[in-house]
Amino acid sequence: MTLTDLEPRAEEILQLYEQPRAAMLPLLWLVQADQGYISQEAEAWVGRILGVSRSHVYEAVSFYNMFHTKPVGRRELRVCTSLPCLLRGADALLDRIKESLKIGPGETTPDGEVTLTEVECLCACEMSPMAQLDERFVGPLEGGSVDLIIQDALTEPGRPESTPEPDPYISTDGPVLSTRFKDPEGTWLDAYLTDDGYVAARKVLTSMTPQDVIDEVSSANLRGLGGAGFPAGRKWSFVPKETDKPKFLVVNADEGEPGTFKDRYIMERDPHALIEGMIIAAFAIGSHKAYVYIRGEYFRSAKRLQRAVDEAYGRGWLGKDIQGTGFDLDVVIHSGAGAYICGEETALLTSLEGGKGFPRLKPPFPAISGLFQCPTIVNNVETLACVPFILRNGAEHFAGIGTEQQGGTRLFCVCGHVVRPGVYEEPVSITLRELIEKAGGVRDGNRLKAVIPGGISAKILTADEIDVAMDFDSLKAAGTMAGSGGVIVMDETTSIIHALDSAARFFADESCGQCSPCREGTGWVHRILRRIVDGKGSLQDLDDLLAIAGDMEGNTICVFADAAAWPVQSYITKFRHECEEYIRSERSAEQEETAECPI
Amino acid sequence: MPNLTINGREVSVADGTTVIQAAETLGIFIPRYCYHPGLSIAGNCRICLVEVENNPKLQIACNAPVSEGMVVHTKSDMAEDGRRAVLEFLLANHPLDCPVCDQSGECDLQNFYMNFGLYNPRFREHKVKKRKAVELGPHVMLDQERCILCSRCVRFTDEITKTGEFGIFNRGDRAELGLYPGDVLDNPYSANVVDICPVGALTESDFRFKARVWYLSSAATVCNGCSQGCNVDMHYMLDRPHLNDGNRVVRIKPRYNPDVNQWWICDEGRYGFGWADQARLGKVRGPSTDSAEASWEQALTTISTALEGSDNEQERSRIGVIASAQLTCEELFLIRQIFRDALGAQVTTSVSEEPGSSDDFLIKSDKNPNTLGATLLGLAVPDAPDAAQLLDAALGGDLEALWVFGHDLVKLFGEEKIRQLSEKVPLFVYSGTNENPTVPLAHWVLPSAAYVEKDGTFVNCHGRVQRIGRVFPPLEDSREDWRFLLELADQLGLQFDWQGPERIFQGLAETVASFKGLSYETIGTQGVEVVTATEGAVAP
Repeated sequence: MTLTDLEPRAEEILQLYEQPRAAMLPLLWLVQADQGYISQEAEAWVGRILGVSRSHVYEAVSFYNMFHTKPVGRRELRVCTSLPCLLRGADALLDRIKESLKIGPGETTPDGEVTLTEVECLCACEMSPMAQLDERFVGPLEGGSVDLIIQDALTEPGRPESTPEPDPYISTDGPVLSTRFKDPEGTWLDAYLTDDGYVAARKVLTSMTPQDVIDEVSSANLRGLGGAGFPAGRKWSFVPKETDKPKFLVVNADEGEPGTFKDRYIMERDPHALIEGMIIAAFAIGSHKAYVYIRGEYFRSAKRLQRAVDEAYGRGWLGKDIQGTGFDLDVVIHSGAGAYICGEETALLTSLEGGKGFPRLKPPFPAISGLFQCPTIVNNVETLACVPFILRNGAEHFAGIGTEQQGGTRLFCVCGHVVRPGVYEEPVSITLRELIEKAGGVRDGNRLKAVIPGGISAKILTADEIDVAMDFDSLKAAGTMAGSGGVIVMDETTSIIHALDSAARFFADESCGQCSPCREGTGWVHRILRRIVDGKGSLQDLDDLLAIAGDMEGNTICVFADAAAWPVQSYITKFRHECEEYIRSERSAEQEETAECPI
Repeated sequence: MPNLTINGREVSVADGTTVIQAAETLGIFIPRYCYHPGLSIAGNCRICLVEVENNPKLQIACNAPVSEGMVVHTKSDMAEDGRRAVLEFLLANHPLDCPVCDQSGECDLQNFYMNFGLYNPRFREHKVKKRKAVELGPHVMLDQERCILCSRCVRFTDEITKTGEFGIFNRGDRAELGLYPGDVLDNPYSANVVDICPVGALTESDFRFKARVWYLSSAATVCNGCSQGCNVDMHYMLDRPHLNDGNRVVRIKPRYNPDVNQWWICDEGRYGFGWADQARLGKVRGPSTDSAEASWEQALTTISTALEGSDNEQERSRIGVIASAQLTCEELFLIRQIFRDALGAQVTTSVSEEPGSSDDFLIKSDKNPNTLGATLLGLAVPDAPDAAQLLDAALGGDLEALWVFGHDLVKLFGEEKIRQLSEKVPLFVYSGTNENPTVPLAHWVLPSAAYVEKDGTFVNCHGRVQRIGRVFPPLEDSREDWRFLLELADQLGLQFDWQGPERIFQGLAETVASFKGLSYETIGTQGVEVVTATEGAVAP
């Protein structure tokens, strides 16, 4: 199609947003889906429609790594080489693919069939090592399945694929979040309704005040499960009651923390639980418009959630006058385009408004001035999915499942060197040791070396430190954090320096580049680690790394720099001896190799 | 009005003030790169970190609102250590090419490093390579490696010119400043981004490799490019003429004036200074041959005698003066006193000119800096004739003398007409700064000092009287108009007790109602409104 042909669709998209510029990512997606890439002509077209200069369109295109500015192959094979996949052989996988396709990352086969891309965490660590072929996640890619994915990559798009549907372990028996996870094809409206679906929403809309809802959620001790652990009810209470401005509910479905893959299962297997949670939350804060910001790589999640939203509209659970209660709620699903930082709630808002994913200065906080400068609550998918349970079964029940300060369960994501990676719904009081045991323990009978308990940003724990409960407060007391619930397990075969190098690469790739300490510090740290890995390190480097990490921490707009600093600090401090040994032995090996060089 | 303490000193400021602003009221300067008072807050550079008591983290002063009882330390160990760290990060990938950087000497990376640098660098990695010497447009060069991504220029083209040329593309340490591929930075205010760039990323093409900034002297004045009267600093160099093709003016920078131009000037004004050094009239020329040199004394004696001779039996004077709104109020006042009032001459500054370019920001279509001053002195229509009427009178044989200040009549009325004028009128005097086609046709040519070579005042189009400052002495034999006008008055036997511009202005203020009560002292460096300033003022 030509750009002119896309204009009617573009007009429809514009209608979904309060401000034209917010249609930036959807319009860029529209162009790329149609033309395969985003040309300069298309950038000008998007700029014209949005009333934005071309430089700002190009800022967005260049910031999000899923957009192509040049034609690419008919298919794109995106291979994840982030830490969780690396622990399970991603480097060997990438080598095999490179060898078979005879191209490197960033290149396209000469016949234009497939473009190979190396990407950071796709948040499908339960199937690692894994890759994404166009929209589909495939893994684990071991042995014969590697040949199958290459075969599929070379097959015309739309043909049946030979790689099997991933089948990792996923909890199915609840008690809160995973009760409708059994069907990999998803739980749709009729099934949801027969399983007490929308009972809580009906109760809230017909018999409760917003304050009742906030009180109930507060006494349930529901904490923000995106990673910060902030009490959800309290967050809702920050929205000003007396304001003429519209209020927005924004769902953070930008699941991006390496080692985390829970929100995807909620959206794909039980999407109505999220929608019901959204209705209740929107009612509590007085919002009639909600956005769901889903990471761009989650094509299937977006499609399934859209299907559920359509069902809900069709049956009067969304839109005007929901079930005759007089309450209105519109929901727009908005896809990101490849930027981890957009999981930070203010970066998410900037991105949703059509900008680069730059975190915002606080104050003002989003509850006062967020999306389109209006009061906004940003909640994680899992947090909202807990809400119907709380309103249906009572705050006391939910609170009783957890600890004194944190109610309920979490969908713990266990990956890395365990026998059975997957999603485990457990009360938050479970210990890390128990959780690892649930996942079958450490693979191959190996000894445990270290665990990252809450996504790659969390400080690492040694094998001696795993008798700790997985709730926010216990892990904080243990000097780390519960974060996103992503548990990355490392056995004795893990090289700490390589693991840290991988984490550092992730943060260097994903820094938005706004604040100088983070922009320069993440790259600097990664380059030092590359040098150490290459055998050119010195012991002084370890102290420099600690000093640089210390200088990054706490000095930026958002906590990304802190998150980048914590692995550096914890890996080096807790495994100093191993790091020093590595530097000494690799350095002497490197010197032997170059010894022939006359000085 | 929260009360807070900064570095042990108490201050009370308005609600909504930020710490960086509150500190400024105490004269405490907090370093900044991304913060600029004329732009929105970005908060990205992090150099303005300060310690706020009872807060475990350092806060950025540019976005920290003041609150009652707040205790701020800008120079504590914690604050300085934070800033040292930020500076180390900013320099990590910086090319450190200060020896060949035009910004050197006025670079805030250098300046702040002097105060709290690490002085023991530990960056040993390869630096990120980006593009250097990128020509962004007619006036601005970009060095991406020197850029610290503070986004001041991006915010300038977004918020001030609303032209949106700049962007920061990519992310992490690959982020780079630039224009959209193929775009040109040519908006009428483009070079302001050079002024606000705190480092050597954006430099002026015009100034490129011309001189080290520490060779430059600076003087405060007002742009004469249009009737807005933007405040500027003239940067000049007298002792190294070889570096600048013999020219004295090297560059112009905007000077902050909240009521006139804030922090900005247009490119037209910024690069309109060439005439001050080039094609100048340097010698007095008499009538014996086209370019015969003569002395000022000869000229003024001859001219004054002729002017007295044409006096003044008739009802209408046979002397015409086409003065100029390029002249200062003081000079126009002298012209009024001498020609109009003493000699009864017909005097005007009104010349029909094509209106120039204009916008709704700073650029005005009237390219004269002092039209309103001339009007207040009664030397412009409707209180005075139009230049065309005087010209017609001269061509009709009704004038014995015509004095033209600065106007190129050939350009305005055509060469043929002025040639006739030259033959028809017995005395045709031209005084001005530069060569033009009218000059060879005048009987006497008097070289005037350029406005940068004299003191005086202009009244801008909003009624603000502002002082221009003498930057350097007049070139060659040129003289300030006020000086030779006083000399002429002396020849004519007029008793003026005014030795220089300041005293002339005093006379003006005593005579012309709009200026009543004003003096150079009250005008100061930022000017005052003429009309409002006169209200309630006591006449001396």
